[in-house]
Amino acid sequence: MNSEGHPLKKYIRKHITKTTMCPGCGNGIVTQAILRAIDELGLGMNDFVFISGIGCSAWIPSPLFDADTLHTTHGRPIAFATGVKLGLPDKHIMVVSGDGDLTAIGGNHLIHAARRNIDLTVILINNGIYGMTGGQTAPTTPRGLKTITNPYGTLEHTFDISPMVSAAGASYVARWTTYHPRQMTRAIKKGIQKKGFALIESVSQCPVQYGRVSKIGKAVDFLKYFKENSIKINKAKEMAPQELKGKIIIGEFMNTTKPELAEGWSHLKCHLEERH
Amino acid sequence: MVHKTSVLTGTHFEMGNWACAEGAIASGCTFVAGYPITPASEVVNRLAERIPKAGGIFLQTEDEISAICSAIGASWAGCISMTATSGPGISLMQENIGFAVATETPLVIIDVQRFGPSTGVPSVGLAGDMVQVARGSHGDYQIIALCPESPQEMFDLTIQAFNLAEKYRVPVFLMADAFIGHMREQVVIPSEEDIIIESRKIPDHGLGPMERQDFLDVDVAPMPIFGLGYRAHVTSSCHDEHGMRNLSDPSVMHRYLIRPIEKILKYREDIIQIQADYLEAKVGLVTYGTVSRSARAAANLAKQRGLKVGTLRMITCWPFPDKEIRQMAETVDYMLVLENNNGQIYPYVKAEAVHACRVDFLRPQTLGQIHEPDYILAYIEEMIK
Amino acid sequence: MTRVRIFPQDCKGLENCGICTFVCPKNLFHSSGVMNDTGYIPPEIEEENKCTGCENCMIYCPDFAIVVEKKSEAVSYDGETEIGS
Repeated sequence: MNSEGHPLKKYIRKHITKTTMCPGCGNGIVTQAILRAIDELGLGMNDFVFISGIGCSAWIPSPLFDADTLHTTHGRPIAFATGVKLGLPDKHIMVVSGDGDLTAIGGNHLIHAARRNIDLTVILINNGIYGMTGGQTAPTTPRGLKTITNPYGTLEHTFDISPMVSAAGASYVARWTTYHPRQMTRAIKKGIQKKGFALIESVSQCPVQYGRVSKIGKAVDFLKYFKENSIKINKAKEMAPQELKGKIIIGEFMNTTKPELAEGWSHLKCHLEERH
Repeated sequence: MVHKTSVLTGTHFEMGNWACAEGAIASGCTFVAGYPITPASEVVNRLAERIPKAGGIFLQTEDEISAICSAIGASWAGCISMTATSGPGISLMQENIGFAVATETPLVIIDVQRFGPSTGVPSVGLAGDMVQVARGSHGDYQIIALCPESPQEMFDLTIQAFNLAEKYRVPVFLMADAFIGHMREQVVIPSEEDIIIESRKIPDHGLGPMERQDFLDVDVAPMPIFGLGYRAHVTSSCHDEHGMRNLSDPSVMHRYLIRPIEKILKYREDIIQIQADYLEAKVGLVTYGTVSRSARAAANLAKQRGLKVGTLRMITCWPFPDKEIRQMAETVDYMLVLENNNGQIYPYVKAEAVHACRVDFLRPQTLGQIHEPDYILAYIEEMIK
Repeated sequence: MTRVRIFPQDCKGLENCGICTFVCPKNLFHSSGVMNDTGYIPPEIEEENKCTGCENCMIYCPDFAIVVEKKSEAVSYDGETEIGS
């Protein structure tokens, strides 16, 4: 990577010369959206701790971001982040990871962190497949798609992540695709500012693995696909389930205010100290 | 920071699990995560009440995986951090025990042992996890494990566990069992000034991670904890001294694999504690934890009968006290390893001792019961015939 | 006047990425035909004077390889007119 030029490069570790992403990967678009959100909020890398799991998208903060970064075991970044947030309640704690990491192996931690309403900003990059390991079925893979591990087509139904996390108790939930980087940036800004559990589901392209099995094609074909198949949530509410088949519902799924866990602990400790 | 008034200085008559919780408070522990499990629950039950008053946090997690992960996260956030569980919980934590070792994270794990699998034998004292805590995660590594033999030691060794974890940036296990955890005895808690607390070193400010050594120092690198502007890069992926991922340089991989082991073995003399009482003994009893009490009773009984029986109690089980076992083997003619299991530590003792003496193993007459001193003595008499 | 700077060594190529060619409303990006050090063929921009300064190429480029520098007032998208709305 060039050391000068791009205004968001100042947030990237100086010795990093290349991302690990494949050509046309959506992770780079989400990376920019995250950094632009931080930049526009006037925050710096010292205001954050970034935590990621295992998978291609987990390699966004680690090693790219010039900040405190914790690259954890598969599925567990939200569990690690819970401890970091409770230890550093004044910092913004951001988790960046994929759909396999956060909804398959780590699904339990995702719904429980939403239930606790702990102040984390989770960027969940959903490419609908296991990219790093070679194109296996994920909980987000559309039913019927033929993958490496379902060569006759998947028989299983698909997680609808944003409504699931909203139902689990999150304070802020939004879904955008890599065709919508500006809207995604605004959602990330709201997520960072939200005192509570925030999830930004970023529907993204994996041209190499998902592109191959879905026959969608290359990066540009994905962006066209996202453009043509995305439906704003308000419009979707007026549509019949049949009309929404195969569509990506985008927009804000949840935006509410309720007591947050780390703040709850600060209040409890103050209260006990006064009584002491 | 733990409040001054939190240490319950005085003499108490309490359970081992109670003493362990008080040891954590006296150590300045500020973050506890746990999931309910017999026979360890009393440790977290007590801490759930005590630690918020001492200025810390208790988090009941959705499972033991989350417990250890959040405890590791809290440790990197600068907390003095612990979790408590039993065998099945340790099994669930294994991957992240390896993560804590590879990222050189200070962490105390209380293991009040039982037998499994699952609810196999949930409430009986058995030393079920002696090997899995040290060898259960994937790859090679060294942790530290301490074995208390009384409620008093559940207090004392909990403090030592925190001190060793902070000093060596490593997970430290307290290997209790249901007997010690639930046994009530006198527990003396000293005044706060008399409790020695070791704190982790942190780096000097001003340098970036590429100019610092944050990892892989056999003399233990200062820990670049989060939130202070260190911009630390922490990963369990193969990394160099700066914490940066490197899978292309074989020499980095070699250092990544051996330095965390060498770090512990280099300081074995500081870490390893044994209690040896086998001067002029012909037979040596090797034990740890609860069974040590039976071994001492058997040695006293033997003395009355004119038999020269000595004892070696491993207060530290891991790193394994190999040199200390060899010394005993070269002094005695017979060694008898007593464990409340089917011989977990026995092969390690035998490997160090069998060149010099006969080495046998004796489980209790009924597993899960304590070794009767008479039963031990009867075996010894048969052994030396 | 807007200036579009392309950093060819950071680009992962038009063949498998080419996102800039898709998101440019004026279709200004074309193959440079010159391979970079890692084997990818980056774009070059023709008729820079036609650039509207919308910054799509910069915001969508996954590899931070394009920078749009606005020398004077240039049209930029706001929340209402941006693509994807």
